Amino acid sequence: MTSNTPYKLQALDIHKRYGQNEVLKGVSLNACAGDVISIIGSSGSGKSTFLRCINLLEQPQQGRILVAGEELQLRPGPGGALQATDQRQLQRLRSRLAMVFQHFNLWAHMTVLQNIIEVPVHVLGLPRDEAVARARKYLQLVGLEGREDTYPGHMSGGQQQRVAIARALAVEPEVMLFDEPTSALDPELVGEVLRVMQVLAQQGRTMLVVTHEMGFAREVSNHVIFLHQGLIEEQGHPREVLSNPRSERLARFLSGNLK
Amino acid sequence: MNWSVIFEPDTLALYTQGLVVTLQLTLLSLAVGAVLALLMALALVSRSAPIRLPVAAFTYFMRGTPLLIQVYLIYYGFAQLEWVQARWDTVWPWTHFKEPFFCALLSFSLNTAAYTAEMLAGAIRETHKGEVEAARAMGMGRWQLMRRIVLPSAIRRMLPAYGNEVVMMLHSSSLASTVPALLDLTGAASRVYSDFYLPFEAYLFAAAIYLCITFSLIGGCRLLERRYLGYLAPRKA
Repeated sequence: MTSNTPYKLQALDIHKRYGQNEVLKGVSLNACAGDVISIIGSSGSGKSTFLRCINLLEQPQQGRILVAGEELQLRPGPGGALQATDQRQLQRLRSRLAMVFQHFNLWAHMTVLQNIIEVPVHVLGLPRDEAVARARKYLQLVGLEGREDTYPGHMSGGQQQRVAIARALAVEPEVMLFDEPTSALDPELVGEVLRVMQVLAQQGRTMLVVTHEMGFAREVSNHVIFLHQGLIEEQGHPREVLSNPRSERLARFLSGNLK
Repeated sequence: MNWSVIFEPDTLALYTQGLVVTLQLTLLSLAVGAVLALLMALALVSRSAPIRLPVAAFTYFMRGTPLLIQVYLIYYGFAQLEWVQARWDTVWPWTHFKEPFFCALLSFSLNTAAYTAEMLAGAIRETHKGEVEAARAMGMGRWQLMRRIVLPSAIRRMLPAYGNEVVMMLHSSSLASTVPALLDLTGAASRVYSDFYLPFEAYLFAAAIYLCITFSLIGGCRLLERRYLGYLAPRKA
């Protein structure tokens, strides 16, 4: 199943319906190592749904998902949506993708350190000391060294999101999935999270970012996908796509979005 | 008032004997109840109706009927069935139904299990959806998610309510005195009352002991809450 492929992640021809409402009408994406792909679009365009189909938090009706060449085995479930044939494979592939959520979704009853070492220790089976060392390394990277014993509820939104990024980094994933990571933050806290993400991009990490931050899309990513009504309307290098939109829809979206 | 009788060695010994039974009944039924409650709570949040509904019916009955009735049902009802009596000399576990202590313990355990299970199931259902999603997205399986994220969070959040249940259980254990031949703290007080006809002294002394245990229990619960619910407390400077 595993083949030599340049792709860290492939999501091919993803279709997703909620009842009669077709949210994704066949969206594909290929991410090579080091790619930073921004997915933009107005709300309801299906961009978060697409990201959540990749790790099967949402079940698509159709499509293929490959992580580093290994295809996720899917079969139709009772409702017509695809489900994993082998839960263990799904769990293994999920642990190689790490997701950062709009609302952080840190485990509130655990300290910062416990949040970060939880998956490395209990899912990946890493020895505790090693996981702790990893956690400290990534806490430093996100600028939160010394906050190991703080509870998430005692931190600002920007700090919580940086902890969530450290938690995602700690599994040393193939690809990081960011689902509107700055949308729930106060405007003055957005910058600290974007700066961390920029550092990650410069380190050559493969990232998929659903975002409304056009500055990030333009400056940091090397590929932009504009989704409209469940289809890729336009994609390409951010300078081209964002500076010279070919479609009227993207032009209108950008003029409404650019500050 | 005649308190000197209460402080006679024999009387004090009677109270001590009752106190030991009360503590044993309360703590044992809480322990057994907690284990049962955990299993029943998992059944209550199960997606499978054949697992969920019988347990839901059980907790519905236990919470909808008085504990005293449940004690009577087990001690006078169940333990007097011919089918049980035919076995209680030889066949385990029916041998235990001859013992008043076991009958009281069984009914208390089932009662507290029902209340605690509903409490825990409620806390499990109210677990933050995003926290569950994060665990799934990181590759946790259903059982691991339950064991590592949902239960530790839910048990913490139900602690304050559970503290009340612990105190209620201590107080309810006085119903053990209705089972003949079982001398708990209340039973001891009743014995003192009937021996000396000193109702106020006899029951007030027992009440004072209950009060002391209650406050110790509440203090213990506060400590646990401070330790395990610190993440919900306001930030310290």
